[in-house]
Amino acid sequence: MAKPIFEWDYSSYPGAKKYPKLFEPIQIGNLLIPNRIKYAATEDNFNDHNGFITDADVAYIRRRAEGVVGGLCFMQGVYMDEAQKGQGYVGQAACWDDKYIPGLKKMADAIHAEKAVAGFQLMDCGRVGAVEVPAGHGPSTVPQRLRIFKPMYEMSKEEIKEMVQQHVDAARRGVDAGFDIMEISGIVGYLISNFISSYTNRRTDEYGGDIHGRMKSVVEIIQGVKEACGPDIPVGIRLCAEELLDDVRGNTPEESMESYKIAEEAGADYISVTAGWQESIVPVISRDVPMGSWIHLAKLAKEHVNIPVQMAYRLFLPELPEKAIAAGELDIWEICRSMIADPLMPKKVLEDRQDEIRHCVACNLCLARLFRDAPMTCYINPVCAHEHDENFFPKPVEEDDEKEIMIVGAGPAGLECAYVAAQRGHDVHVYDKEEALGGTILEASKAPYGDEELMTCINYQRIMCEKFGVEFHLGTEVTEELIQDEMPDSVVLATGPVYPEIGGTVSEGATIVNVLDVLGGSAEVGDNVMVWGNRKPGIGCALFLAKQGKRVTIVGKEKTAGFDVNPSFKWRYMIYLRQNRVMAYNDCDIEEINEGEVIVKTYDGYRFPLKCDTVVMSEREANEGLKAVVQGEGIELFVIGDALVPRNMSSAVHDGYRIGLRI
Amino acid sequence: MPVNTEKEITTLWRNLHTAQSEICKTYYRWREVAIEIAGPETKPLDVALKAAEMMGVDIGKNFLPRLNWLKGEETFMLNLGRQLAGMWASEGAATTVEQGEGPSEILIKCTRDPWPTAARHYGVPMEEVALTRERLFQAILVDVNVFFDTPLKIEMLKAIPRGEGEWVFKLYKDESK
Ligand SMILES: Cc1cc2nc3c(=O)[nH]c(=O)nc-3n(C[C@H](O)[C@H](O)[C@H](O)COP(=O)(O)O)c2cc1C
Ligand code: SF4
Repeated sequence: MAKPIFEWDYSSYPGAKKYPKLFEPIQIGNLLIPNRIKYAATEDNFNDHNGFITDADVAYIRRRAEGVVGGLCFMQGVYMDEAQKGQGYVGQAACWDDKYIPGLKKMADAIHAEKAVAGFQLMDCGRVGAVEVPAGHGPSTVPQRLRIFKPMYEMSKEEIKEMVQQHVDAARRGVDAGFDIMEISGIVGYLISNFISSYTNRRTDEYGGDIHGRMKSVVEIIQGVKEACGPDIPVGIRLCAEELLDDVRGNTPEESMESYKIAEEAGADYISVTAGWQESIVPVISRDVPMGSWIHLAKLAKEHVNIPVQMAYRLFLPELPEKAIAAGELDIWEICRSMIADPLMPKKVLEDRQDEIRHCVACNLCLARLFRDAPMTCYINPVCAHEHDENFFPKPVEEDDEKEIMIVGAGPAGLECAYVAAQRGHDVHVYDKEEALGGTILEASKAPYGDEELMTCINYQRIMCEKFGVEFHLGTEVTEELIQDEMPDSVVLATGPVYPEIGGTVSEGATIVNVLDVLGGSAEVGDNVMVWGNRKPGIGCALFLAKQGKRVTIVGKEKTAGFDVNPSFKWRYMIYLRQNRVMAYNDCDIEEINEGEVIVKTYDGYRFPLKCDTVVMSEREANEGLKAVVQGEGIELFVIGDALVPRNMSSAVHDGYRIGLRI
Repeated sequence: MPVNTEKEITTLWRNLHTAQSEICKTYYRWREVAIEIAGPETKPLDVALKAAEMMGVDIGKNFLPRLNWLKGEETFMLNLGRQLAGMWASEGAATTVEQGEGPSEILIKCTRDPWPTAARHYGVPMEEVALTRERLFQAILVDVNVFFDTPLKIEMLKAIPRGEGEWVFKLYKDESK
């Protein structure tokens, strides 16, 4: 009879009534998991460069363990070879020697301290590996498409056997460290998937050929790891249901399903369904892919195997997995980025505090950081990567230090600062000349390809402001007189950017409109549009207009369009600009704006005319407004968000949070 | 001030041609350096062919992100032919790509090429110019073939430096593989 590791009773929680399936127990192997929630393994680059676990990683995982309320919590995938060919990230945890066990034990203990089930993951990064060494290993010598990745060389049969043994040894170390469940990561182009794919496995020996040959090493790993783990520790595997590699002659979906069946026959206790490789040229998890787009793959998996099926991939709302589990299309809801953004996300679901969830906006900054050898951070969650630092959590102010704070601007910077300061005990007043909360996000969220999800940030901040008693003064423009009347202890200027006049000559009859008015729908825009500014606001607006059938050209000063967008998302924009026939002239200036025409000047002095009946201004500058007034009155002043330096929503949130903590 | 388009284009064009001729000159200057360092025992042709091979492999890596198999073999080969022709054109050549006899054959033609002219200034034998281009194209195919698991070959049928009036390369599938 399967037994749980910790007893959980959800019967008194409102969320368990709302989402009964999510809080139903499930048996995996001989283990009973109290609910259907899993924090999926997340590489974070927090560990030291020799692979030893750091306090930062322990604190990070503990917070996520709290979030799964008794469910599965997996630590990041570990690499297993001393030669470091399998290491994909500079801060990836290692497990090629017993010396790593004490650090790994801290991770298991942290998960257990929250009464969650501790998951260990084995992850040789294969084609994405060798981050610290000149070359990596794989089933065959297939060149890399992108130069940032190291060359890969074909493994000999002896090396394959060694690699299988490394998995087995690492699994044993995981067990010794106290983990309860084992997972083999075969996702997104890591070594296991390299063996399975016809794209990267061209071997003619028994480890290549048809799907059975390509699965041989995987079968050996599953069997070896199962034996090392014994009957009480289930062993699962993450495998691609669809590689999305048709462009390079990857596996067919039928072959992928065959690999599932082979894994089940080899003894896998569950399958975690994944989609795409890092090399796939189609988007998989960015916000231009609607939530729930991949859930059909879990259903497909359920049709092919009898063991439990788990899946993540843009399942950002509990309704999606609840429905899928009820329909028999899924067994366990995996969550990764939603819990990077809000570690307590499922806990809030259980407690029916869903509106207090800070939602991931699927920007993939977290991933982009890993590939730049930087510790993971989150676009939307300022605490991510600082869980171990108590200074990053709001502390109540002493009664004598309570301040009356005037925050000017109800955009993401102002609202973030407002609720954090209010939570600490300050008396916070937010002013905005508009009637609605959101600042420039109100307009920015009108851009296509999923940008409406940006408003989730504002919704969260509004709820938090209400919770901590922030007072709103909407439709109220802050003036010198108002400041003098109120004389607050502190003023936070979160007024957003200003849009400077265009340089060069502007002739009469030229139509110039502001990006916010265009996105907000109040500006009239002709059929031939030039958007001035090649950062994210310009790109969003250009796509918004192109979708209406207008001919749009972007002209901007930055060397590349979207220079302020992280590389893991930027490539999507480049494709959408091409698809929508938006031309971008970068590293350029505007010399003249005439009626029906703009003269563009390249950085090296060439000039050319551009047919255009409307110019949209999206270039921004810092906002100096009210600064002098506040300083003149001797009031403590903070400037945050785009008012300080125009950047993006992330900077606004992070600025707001930090000043909210400090003020 | 209104834009004088003719003037803008002429300046741009002139600068482009200067840059293109610098590509050839820079290559031949480096060739001289390499030959001198290699010493009198080494044949200049061997140096040139080795350079073509190394450069070709590197250029081939750049081709990988720009090619895909989504539309099948014929389109793949046509696009590969276009990539080769486009690269040559950016060096100043006038090139075209045509379907050869049958779907698995592409012809890359060039009717005007700055390389032989530049080679003459540096005293490079014309046969070396011909063989270097062929080796370059062959080396480009190395990684492309491994990456896409294709058996493609390229063969020089005609060469301007051989006095044949035009270059013709045949890109084809090696049916024996
Ligand atoms: C920053 C980051 C790190 C990840 N690290 C791992 C990992 O170590 N092992 C693994 O199997 N998957 C890893 N993944 C994949 C996730 O577990 C998950 O499958 C994927 O992000 C899709 O789920 P989501 O839409 O809930 O984020 C990582 C994903 C992200 C965003
Ligand atoms: S960085 Fe972006 S994608 Fe990653 S968790 Fe945060 S909001 Fe989501």
